[in-house]
Amino acid sequence: MLILESVAFQYPRTATTYSFDMQASAGAVTAITGKSGCGKSTLLDLIAGFQQPGSGDIYWHDQPLNKLTPAARPVTTVFQRNNLFEHRNAIDNVIVGINPKIPSYGIDYDAAAEALALVGLAGFEKKRASQLSGGQQQRVAIARALVRATADKAPLIQFDEPFSALDQATREQMLSLVKRLATTHQCAILMVTHSIADCDAIADARYEIRDGRLFSL
Amino acid sequence: MQLKGNRQSLLPGFVVSCALFAMATGLLLLLFSQQGNNSINLGSRYHRILAWTALQATLSTMISVVIGIVLGWALSHRQRFPGRAVFIALLSSALVLPTLVVALGLVTVLGRSGWINDALQLAGFDPFKPFIYGLPGILIAHAYFNASFAARTVLNRLQSIPSSQLKLASSLGLTPLQRFRLLEFPALTTALPALCTTIFLLCFTSFAIVLVLGGSPKYNTLEVSIYEAIKLDFDLGRAIGLSLLQLGVCALLVLATNRSASVLSIGAPARLTTGLHYSKTEIANQYLVIVTFGIFFLMPLVAIVSDGVTGDLFKVLLQPVFVKALITSIAIATASTIIVLFASILICSSITTLAVRQGAEASLLSRLMLRFINFSATLYLVIPSLVLGLGFFLLARQTGGSYLLWSVVSLLAANTLLVLPFALTSLSPAMIKAANRYDRLALSLSITGLARWRLIESTLVRPELAYVASLAFCMSLGDLGVIALFGSQDFVTLPWLLYQKMGSYRTAEAAGVALVTLALTLFVFLTLPRIGTAPRET
Amino acid sequence: MKFISLIFTALISTATFAQGKPVLTVYTYDAFAADWGPAPGIEKAFEETCNCDLVFVAADSSIGALRKIQLEGPQTSADLIVGLDTNIAEAARATGLFAEHGADTSKVTLPTGDWSDKTFLPFDYSYFAFVYNKENVATPPTSFEELIALPADFKIVIQDPRSSTPGLGLLLWIQQAYGDKANDIWKGLQPHIVTVTKGWSDAYGLFLKDEADMVLSYTTSPAYHSIAESDDRFASAAFSEGHYLQIEVAGILQSSKNQQLARDFLQFMLSDTVQDIIPTTNWVYPATSTEAGLPEGFQSLHLPEKTLLIDGVEVEKQRKSWIDQWVDTLGQ
Repeated sequence: MLILESVAFQYPRTATTYSFDMQASAGAVTAITGKSGCGKSTLLDLIAGFQQPGSGDIYWHDQPLNKLTPAARPVTTVFQRNNLFEHRNAIDNVIVGINPKIPSYGIDYDAAAEALALVGLAGFEKKRASQLSGGQQQRVAIARALVRATADKAPLIQFDEPFSALDQATREQMLSLVKRLATTHQCAILMVTHSIADCDAIADARYEIRDGRLFSL
Repeated sequence: MQLKGNRQSLLPGFVVSCALFAMATGLLLLLFSQQGNNSINLGSRYHRILAWTALQATLSTMISVVIGIVLGWALSHRQRFPGRAVFIALLSSALVLPTLVVALGLVTVLGRSGWINDALQLAGFDPFKPFIYGLPGILIAHAYFNASFAARTVLNRLQSIPSSQLKLASSLGLTPLQRFRLLEFPALTTALPALCTTIFLLCFTSFAIVLVLGGSPKYNTLEVSIYEAIKLDFDLGRAIGLSLLQLGVCALLVLATNRSASVLSIGAPARLTTGLHYSKTEIANQYLVIVTFGIFFLMPLVAIVSDGVTGDLFKVLLQPVFVKALITSIAIATASTIIVLFASILICSSITTLAVRQGAEASLLSRLMLRFINFSATLYLVIPSLVLGLGFFLLARQTGGSYLLWSVVSLLAANTLLVLPFALTSLSPAMIKAANRYDRLALSLSITGLARWRLIESTLVRPELAYVASLAFCMSLGDLGVIALFGSQDFVTLPWLLYQKMGSYRTAEAAGVALVTLALTLFVFLTLPRIGTAPRET
Repeated sequence: MKFISLIFTALISTATFAQGKPVLTVYTYDAFAADWGPAPGIEKAFEETCNCDLVFVAADSSIGALRKIQLEGPQTSADLIVGLDTNIAEAARATGLFAEHGADTSKVTLPTGDWSDKTFLPFDYSYFAFVYNKENVATPPTSFEELIALPADFKIVIQDPRSSTPGLGLLLWIQQAYGDKANDIWKGLQPHIVTVTKGWSDAYGLFLKDEADMVLSYTTSPAYHSIAESDDRFASAAFSEGHYLQIEVAGILQSSKNQQLARDFLQFMLSDTVQDIIPTTNWVYPATSTEAGLPEGFQSLHLPEKTLLIDGVEVEKQRKSWIDQWVDTLGQ
């Protein structure tokens, strides 16, 4: 369970203040909606550790995250785009999630190959990331999130509008993948989106950001 | 997109390109056709000179690129510290700093009785042996200029890495080395070949630095050998032979990597990626790099200022020859600036027409024209200024007429060719952007020619024009190339005067001249672009 | 643009502007034209009688002055060149730019005897030697071989044979003394050389700043310190190989529009007036015996027992290959 308690934040030299309270359970998909620029990405940055809150606490299973570096947090973020190291092949991009040395054989390699197969990319292991389509790239990113979750490195996965650039058919495949991550692997999923349809399809809980605050819907 | 009916902007730029090209070919033909007393030869040492020139250029390139990458890397990760903007502005200005001024500054700091040796002795250590004259001095000076330039380019590339990828690297706990290997180095690879070629060419044709810091004939580059063949031996046959050799090598290099000038652009996208996590050692390393190079970069300039002020500044300022040099230099630089502005505006209009308005379905002819125009603007990289100067010099001898007049003409021509590649890389993207945005509107309203220029480009590309003007002025002011051939008591410029004073070891007076040159350069380079940015349309 | 061209015209015209009087332009090396050199005295004396404006234009070295004339070709503004020597005279003659001097040389008294060259006129001479400060160098080397054998931190400063007549003189000195072994001497000298300067005054300036222990100059140079500065610390090192003789010459450009005035000037160079100016300004021996004779202080100078000099024609035949070899040796 992810818990945010009065997490306050303000960008330097700006007037907008944020104050976030929320919970997200493991095994469930929690959707976050809101207008453009309302602070959705800021929320994810705070959880991932890319920004430090001015006050308030973030807990994961009662463990405080505030003091931890991004790498030490149990969080994987899948961005809208640019999730991959483009000159490396698909499987390297998955392995790097659990082993930055990127071995070309061994347990980690096998785990990554399995994850790629799970997202429907068996046979694409050696394909360069830059040669994959947008949908395939996002699936590689999800495969990485998957191996990280399985290796117990990052059971909390955040999606930052990950499917907005994809066509309808691919999008539905992705959504079911995400749902499966939550249910079969007991991950906590945070999904920022502006698509009501996405929420309807897989969200177990919903929040909306308005005026720098989170409201449970 | 294909818009017809706006072709008149094609012609002037094409004519300018043709003129540049004709001038270059004409001078080359003149070099080829030299007959008579001087039979063209390469001298007995050419293979050694060539090998040495290539070796020092290779070493200089490697050192500059490595320092450039390290410094660019450190700056890209340290987004906020006091003086960052100034430091980056200074890095950009390395492009226009007069080479001799920096060489003098380096000698003041690193010379046999330089600051560092003085400090060592004060601290009770043995002074190091003199090393600034010779290969180390040449490499250090080349690194000074080209590493700054490389760092600027590297910083640009690194700042254009998507922030999500950086966050990703941070999230995955990659070590700095892993991050560099996976993320940063790949971002550089597209720029590196062109960057390396450009730096290699600049070092290969390096003149002033080798002339002053070379110390002995051992370290002569081709360019300096050409100079010596003319000035010391008056062996025009050998000068022409060596010029042709240099031309051949440079042309091969430029052709091998076409569009090598594309890395010369130095405008940077702003990026603010906060929250990336760095270990204490990493931050310390980054600051160490920045501080070290900052000191290396600033010390020679500080030395010039301090020596210039404490030396015979007023004595120097009152010398008639100095006043004459100052006036001549400013006049030459102003004239060069005007010529460069006109030439680059005309050429860029043509490039824009060819690149934008004829778009994807460009005919073979227009594609060829675009290539030709682009090539004409990078002539300088192929034809170094001494070769150009030699051509003009032969022309002066053949046509008779005032020697001084030809000196002025050749200096203006050399300056124009020197600045054009840099001018085009900053101006043409802005012109193309303006065209993309307003072409349809302007055409539909039938606004063309000067009226269009006043309405659209004069406002939209004003910052770039101001930048080009400052580049042209500063580079023309500080260049010691052709003037080394043509300089005399009757025709003195600041770099030439500085070279004379340094050559006769009158260091105090040299520092005075250097200080004035430096102050003038930095003043123009840092203030002129501001004038341009004031009324910018948003 | 008009404004700029005006400035250029102004700059250019100042060079040739003079009020009615003919201008006689003399190219020479910097030390000759310096405030403390012979030029100011000569200019003052000559202008008293010539009704002309005598202008000395200083190049950064002697051969540099010749190259400048060659560069400028027939359009050169020089009427005369002063300061070449017999070693480079043949090269200058080969350019075909020079006219006969037409001066009476009967008064010339040189160690080589009578003067027969009709193009170049001698005006002074001396012997090349290494000059040192007795306080810094207790026992100077007495030959090139001794100099080579000294520790590497014993430094000398020399001139470039391509630009400076002393530099060329040293090359010929070693060449004549050692013949085929000359190159070995240069290899031995290389670690002792601080730097190779373009002209004499640069080298001497460095020596006076203590950047080197010895400088290539003349046996007569210590006279400057003893006479002008009452400073007896300086001396020239006597070398057992003998010392190479330098005879400095002047010549008239064919392109000169002031031929008669130029000839007058050259004859004037041999007059007692100029010949008496030379020892205490150029610090060498005059080319004639004047009534006043040599100034006090010159008698005590070291006079070489053995004089070396290679015939100018022979020098010109070999100069290029010797210089190429020199560049190669120093370039290793």
